[in-house]
Amino acid sequence: MNEHSNIILKTENLCKYYGAGDNLVKAVDCVNLAIKQGEFLSIVGKSGSGKSTLLHMLGALDNPTSGSVWLDGENISSFKENRLSQIRRRKIGFIFQSYNLIPSLNVWENIVLPLGLDNKEIDTSFIQDIVKTLGLDNKIKNLPNTLSGGQQQRCAIARAIAAKPSIILADEPTGNLDTKTGDEVMALLKASAKKYGQTLVVITHNEEIAQMADRTVMIADGKVVE
Amino acid sequence: MNMIFRMALSKLRYHKSRTLLTGIAIMLTTMLLMAIGTSGFAMLDMNRQLALAQSNYHAVFRLEEPGQLPVLSKHIQVESLTTIESFAQIINGKMNGSLNYYEPVKDGIYFSNLELTEGHFPEKEDEICSLPSFFERIGAEPVVGGKVTLSFRVNGKGEIQTREFTISGLLIDRDVSTVISDSRIVWGAYVSKALLTSYAEAGLYEADPTAYLRVYGEDMLSYDEIEDKINSTASDIGLDEEQISCNKEYLFTMTTPDTDTFAIIAVISLVVILFSTLVIYSIYYVGVITDVQEIGKLKALGASRRQIGRLLFFQGGIVCVFAIPLGLLIGYLLPYFLFPQVIRALNATALESGQLDHLKGLSNQLHMFSLPFLLITAAAVLITVCVSLLKPIRMAGKVSPAEAIRYQENTTDCKSRKGHHTVKVSTLTWANLSRNRRRTVVTMFTMGLSSVLFICVAAVLNSCRAEDLARRSIQEGEFRISLDYSHHDKEYPENNLDMLVQQDYFNESFLEQLSSIDGVESVKRAPGNILSSTDIESALYEDADNRLSLSYFTREDIPALNEELVSGDIDYDRMTANNEVIYTHAYSFDIYGLALGDVFPLTLHDGDREIPFTVTLTALSQPENYDALVIMTKDSWDNLGLTYDPTTDIYLHVNNAQYDNVKKTLQDIVAKNEHFTLYSLDEEMSIGRAGISLTKYPVYLILVLIAVIGFMNLINTMITSVITRKRELGILQALGLSNRQLVRMLSAEGMFFTVGTLFISATLGHVFGYLFFVYAKKMHFMSLTSYHFPLLETILLVLVLLGGQTAITLYINKKVEKESLIERIRSQE
Ligand SMILES: Nc1ncnc2c1ncn2[C@@H]1O[C@H](COP(=O)(O)OP(=O)(O)OP(=O)(O)O)[C@@H](O)[C@H]1O
Ligand SMILES: [Mg+2]
Repeated sequence: MNEHSNIILKTENLCKYYGAGDNLVKAVDCVNLAIKQGEFLSIVGKSGSGKSTLLHMLGALDNPTSGSVWLDGENISSFKENRLSQIRRRKIGFIFQSYNLIPSLNVWENIVLPLGLDNKEIDTSFIQDIVKTLGLDNKIKNLPNTLSGGQQQRCAIARAIAAKPSIILADEPTGNLDTKTGDEVMALLKASAKKYGQTLVVITHNEEIAQMADRTVMIADGKVVE
Repeated sequence: MNMIFRMALSKLRYHKSRTLLTGIAIMLTTMLLMAIGTSGFAMLDMNRQLALAQSNYHAVFRLEEPGQLPVLSKHIQVESLTTIESFAQIINGKMNGSLNYYEPVKDGIYFSNLELTEGHFPEKEDEICSLPSFFERIGAEPVVGGKVTLSFRVNGKGEIQTREFTISGLLIDRDVSTVISDSRIVWGAYVSKALLTSYAEAGLYEADPTAYLRVYGEDMLSYDEIEDKINSTASDIGLDEEQISCNKEYLFTMTTPDTDTFAIIAVISLVVILFSTLVIYSIYYVGVITDVQEIGKLKALGASRRQIGRLLFFQGGIVCVFAIPLGLLIGYLLPYFLFPQVIRALNATALESGQLDHLKGLSNQLHMFSLPFLLITAAAVLITVCVSLLKPIRMAGKVSPAEAIRYQENTTDCKSRKGHHTVKVSTLTWANLSRNRRRTVVTMFTMGLSSVLFICVAAVLNSCRAEDLARRSIQEGEFRISLDYSHHDKEYPENNLDMLVQQDYFNESFLEQLSSIDGVESVKRAPGNILSSTDIESALYEDADNRLSLSYFTREDIPALNEELVSGDIDYDRMTANNEVIYTHAYSFDIYGLALGDVFPLTLHDGDREIPFTVTLTALSQPENYDALVIMTKDSWDNLGLTYDPTTDIYLHVNNAQYDNVKKTLQDIVAKNEHFTLYSLDEEMSIGRAGISLTKYPVYLILVLIAVIGFMNLINTMITSVITRKRELGILQALGLSNRQLVRMLSAEGMFFTVGTLFISATLGHVFGYLFFVYAKKMHFMSLTSYHFPLLETILLVLVLLGGQTAITLYINKKVEKESLIERIRSQE
């Protein structure tokens, strides 16, 4: 029981297949993974190995073909859409490989969006802190299409940590950043994770970042190879 | 070229919903234009058929000398000729009837009442044919081969002859049930040439034929030209002008293009075209705005401005190839099947309310197809589509490759946004609407226009009240008893008003009899009428059988008269002093070539007394409530010192609870006098309603279709806005936007259009509606009197808009949900 409460996110024979017959792609194939509360996990693997697909399912964004995802001891695969959106709002901060900012909202609005959707009070000083750390303080009124790729990425990261979720899932968060900024961003993520006891799962191709993690999981052809 | 065409095809397939919507809009436009035009042609054909239904002769010549007929039949201008000779007058109690002989000299003229249902026209001396009801009336069995005995006087004079006839044929019976009095029916029976000859040989009969004829060139000539031809033909055979009369109604219908119908069709078509241009334009415009990125990519790959233009042009063209023929087909079939139904249904209502069956002569098949019109419609729609494409094509040409790559799906010219401290669902809605400001405005404008149009017309239609129409017939109270009078009937002078007043039908004791009916609250004489004649030549008097009725107005009527004043001025005392009069019908004022200041030396026919009275026309006003074309002041009228009571109408106010009983009693009273007609409010109301629905429903149908085309626009905007934001919406959901919040957001966007549209229609719509009403009232459309706010129509508009918009939102949402969240997020567009 005690050991169980330590595990925040767990998969059981998690599978995601695309297509059928000859075209069958096993993007995620029978993955069993347990992530502890407060752990910093990095996921590595070749392009097309199924990392993003796995992360999407961990973040309640995609339905598995079979198997299940357990969050806080509950099987989220069985949840209704409404519960799922609540979980996405409150428990999970997701950083996409391709930023995915809302084009009609400015930087500030993009960052506070998950809070707004949950009708939560906005901790202005906290957000301003993040914005400053990420070097976006003179861009908060800008619309996303006027930002550089790296700026958009930082905005997406700010959005993910703004609601202080218990889990942060990041898909190559530093892919578009120079080494220095990349390091700063990772430091921020780690600091935030530590401060709020957040669990951090990061997909990366960067050896250095993988080194920073408590544990690294290697994915190949949809399977976990330790 | 080929590449561009293929690309256009694949784009059409890719943007399936947009293609479908443009297709529907184009199809509906074509359909609407085609249906309106086709209905117009049907209307024209119906009028033509109705004109044809009685008979197709151009003129009647009452021949004076025996030598005239052979000359006439050989006359070069005469296309067809039929003679009818009145042989003898039937003697049978009070029955009015004659024995005639009918001979088609030169084929081509028909009379609807001379069609046989059985047998043949008389050939032998003792043969006869007529209506079955004629034979019944004289107590014989209406069967071919049956025997009847008739008494008659040849040429209406001399000894009464009695003969036995054999029935050789039966004519199509006519409905006589609507004719009140037996003495009003003039019966006709037809006998043979042999009979006439035998009497003529015995010196007992003198032929006095009437010739019905058609002249050549009905298809080519104008009314006046045909009339000239008839007159010259008459003078060629030495016939006095007095002895000819033209079949005016028939000639008028056949020769004069129905400009009213054409004008209405042209105006409606123009509105439809303008409106469709706007809608189709707006769909393409929105399309280009959302396609900017793709267009930019094509340009980056080297597509020229012309190629992009052609790409859009092909997209429009391909849709037209399918939509226009379909629209033409439906637009033709709709009136083809519906028009006769509608006309018949309306006629049935009219029949129920006691009007005559005016569609009797209508054959089932109406000719309503016109190839030139079909081609014009197709061309008009093609031009509409081209015009709608002009601006979008120009816009697409201006897109720069660089702009496209940065471009995030939709356009804003601004780089930053003031934004809000926190983000709510409503913030998202507003953000999206303001990002697409141009699209929002264009959509709102089209939607607003269609609903303003709707409210505008609804305001006028809603103000058409059966009550107002009924009040034209019964100006006050619930019943009107009216004296039927002729102006100048030479054959039945006893029906003329000057003779009728001498009978004093509406005397005090008659009025007292009416007052004493249980439920009658008051009985009132309406202003009377008096016949006038003049010695000066005037088209006005010629058309009124040379006797025109005059009436009067009081000081109290002056405000109403002034309100409808067209020209001149009304000064009661001056008018009394100078015998000045008001003319009450603007349309005929022009037709008769009258002018203010015209002086008429009149003779007023006060029963058997004649009063000389010279009047001057000094004002033209057009209130609804005067039957008489010319009215004088009450003081002038009183100064005439009439001997006889000139009352022609009586109004009765009754207690509503006893309405039915009073009606029954009045019907009995009125039935006793063949000169009385009873008008009751309930019947007049239902006639009014039938008349209104004749205008109302077709107009509403057109409006609804226009609204549907406008709605296409909203659907397009909403679908475009969701489909192009598929990914964005996915991200929002990934960030925790719940389904309920999503629906709320989308509905709020739709609601913005709906509420905006409603706001526009509630303000502008009602303002224009009122102005339109004032105009229509001025034009005396459907007896409009007072403005009625189109509340029901407004509520209907609200419900339809809200319902439609919700339905679209839900539908789109369902469609989007089919794809999994991650698929949406990963999708490129
Ligand atoms: N919707 C889909 N339909 C079919 N196959 C898909 C779909 N989405 C992903 N795949 C396949 O699943 C496999 C895993 O994809 P995924 O995006 O998880 O890879 P990845 O490890 O994140 O690669 P990268 O490092 O390049 O981002 C790939 O082979 C991909 O082609
Ligand atoms: Mg990936």
